[in-house]
Amino acid sequence: MDLKRLKDRYAIVGVGYTPQGKVAERTALSFYIEACANAIKDAGLKKEDIDGLICYRHFEPLGDDVEVTPYLVAQLLGIRPKVLAQEANCARNQMLHAIGLIEMGFCNYVLIAYGDNAYSGRRTFMKEATHGEPVADNAAFGEFGLIANYAMAARRAMHLFGTGPQTWKEIAVSQRKWANLNPKAMMHDRPLSYEEYMAASWVVEPFRIYDTCLISDGGRAYIVTSTERAKDLRNPPVVIMGIGQSNPSVDVHQSDFMAGPTGAKIAGEIAFEMAGITVDEIDACEIYDCFTYTVEITLQDYGFFGPGEGKDWFKDGRTAPGGEIPVNTSGGLLSEAYFMGLTPLTEGVMQLMGRCGQRQLGHTTETKEPQIILCSDNGGVFQSHCAIILRRL
Amino acid sequence: MGYKKPLPKPNADTRPFWEGCKAHQLRFQKCSQCGHLRWPPSVICPICHSSQTQWVVASGKGRVYSFALYRVAFLRTFEGDVPYVTTVVELAEGPRILTNIVGCSPSEVRCDMPVEVVWDDVTDEFSLPKFRPTSGT
Ligand SMILES: [Zn+2]
Repeated sequence: MDLKRLKDRYAIVGVGYTPQGKVAERTALSFYIEACANAIKDAGLKKEDIDGLICYRHFEPLGDDVEVTPYLVAQLLGIRPKVLAQEANCARNQMLHAIGLIEMGFCNYVLIAYGDNAYSGRRTFMKEATHGEPVADNAAFGEFGLIANYAMAARRAMHLFGTGPQTWKEIAVSQRKWANLNPKAMMHDRPLSYEEYMAASWVVEPFRIYDTCLISDGGRAYIVTSTERAKDLRNPPVVIMGIGQSNPSVDVHQSDFMAGPTGAKIAGEIAFEMAGITVDEIDACEIYDCFTYTVEITLQDYGFFGPGEGKDWFKDGRTAPGGEIPVNTSGGLLSEAYFMGLTPLTEGVMQLMGRCGQRQLGHTTETKEPQIILCSDNGGVFQSHCAIILRRL
Repeated sequence: MGYKKPLPKPNADTRPFWEGCKAHQLRFQKCSQCGHLRWPPSVICPICHSSQTQWVVASGKGRVYSFALYRVAFLRTFEGDVPYVTTVVELAEGPRILTNIVGCSPSEVRCDMPVEVVWDDVTDEFSLPKFRPTSGT
């Protein structure tokens, strides 16, 4: 597989935000529409330019919502894309699809979006895991959903390489410091200390509440195009230097990846090979962080440190503001807001565009001026992984 | 008082397993070609794609592969059980199944701990395979 010819050929040219956090009286669909319209505006495009629309997987509608489909999103945006798609489970191939469609010449501008009213609608995420096993059969044993699935993986990792709360508290606290610099973050005005982390109540052991991601209202969208087209648009283009994907697919209970290597290993190798760089050249990371452990195992599988070495690696604020290698600079899914892989990816884009205000990497936060940022997306329970290396052109 | 917790919903693939449980047997499909014992059930072997299969009965011995300790009841019917342990048990024959550890305190559960099946006859229709620490070890 020679992906090198695609290096730097595709770019992200616009990001769409919405009000986020706790935003009552809104449908999930309305967040998609607002995020998409804002991404189009942000890119300086006309809505008629959008010829591809890919929605993230949408869960069961809450309350009196209608089901979110790409048909409805296109209708309400007043667009007529050549290609419509929606992720069925959590396979996280959206960026690859977008690049493929543009590379074949079928699309020029692909819009990728997600939105939900999960906070106000009280989504519990009990049914959303992607099981090979019948979910009802597992419920007979009191097994419900994603927190326990990831907790079980984390427990195996504790057993095999000695990770645990001493590692995860560093991740939770460092990300919270980034959120404290981000006015859009749900946890913006809520500092978190090591003591508060350790004193927090358990949800499913070994996870405390601060190990788990937020549940949010809101939406997020971005637009992919060719680098050539990107150069004519208003934002500084952020190009895709490398991309890799790997989908182990197996239900976590039967998997051999609880303690890694997850899909991040192969996906990372593909992305780094395409980009022609190593982890040493990464200035910052925006890692899908449904749980603290997900951040640890992803960075471990990418090769930032060996099994169990995360305990020292994350110490002393290495990934916090002012740190050597910033990770999840918006606060991430743990402390900003949950918009699937769009929370990390769009933050990487905004950092490289230099649009992050108080949390901007570089002299503002006494960190390295960012040229290259590594982003990840992860679906199911480590069943899908996408690694994306972004670069400022 | 009827049993209030969720029950398995056997389908065409999983029915033989649950019928086995009713008879207090852990039944798995064994590939006639390569010998792989598979879970969840399927029409072909995921290793060699042979459709030649026989159902075999596992010994009920295994070890805790990993576990999660519920401190919160996600369903009201489990409130009385908190804290309880869900676990993946790796059976001696290979398959890894989702189950519970019973017969010891949640704080005593460890990865790789040897366990054996114990049957929880929850209704006339269903017996759930649960696991307890192997006695005498
Ligand atoms: Zn076979």
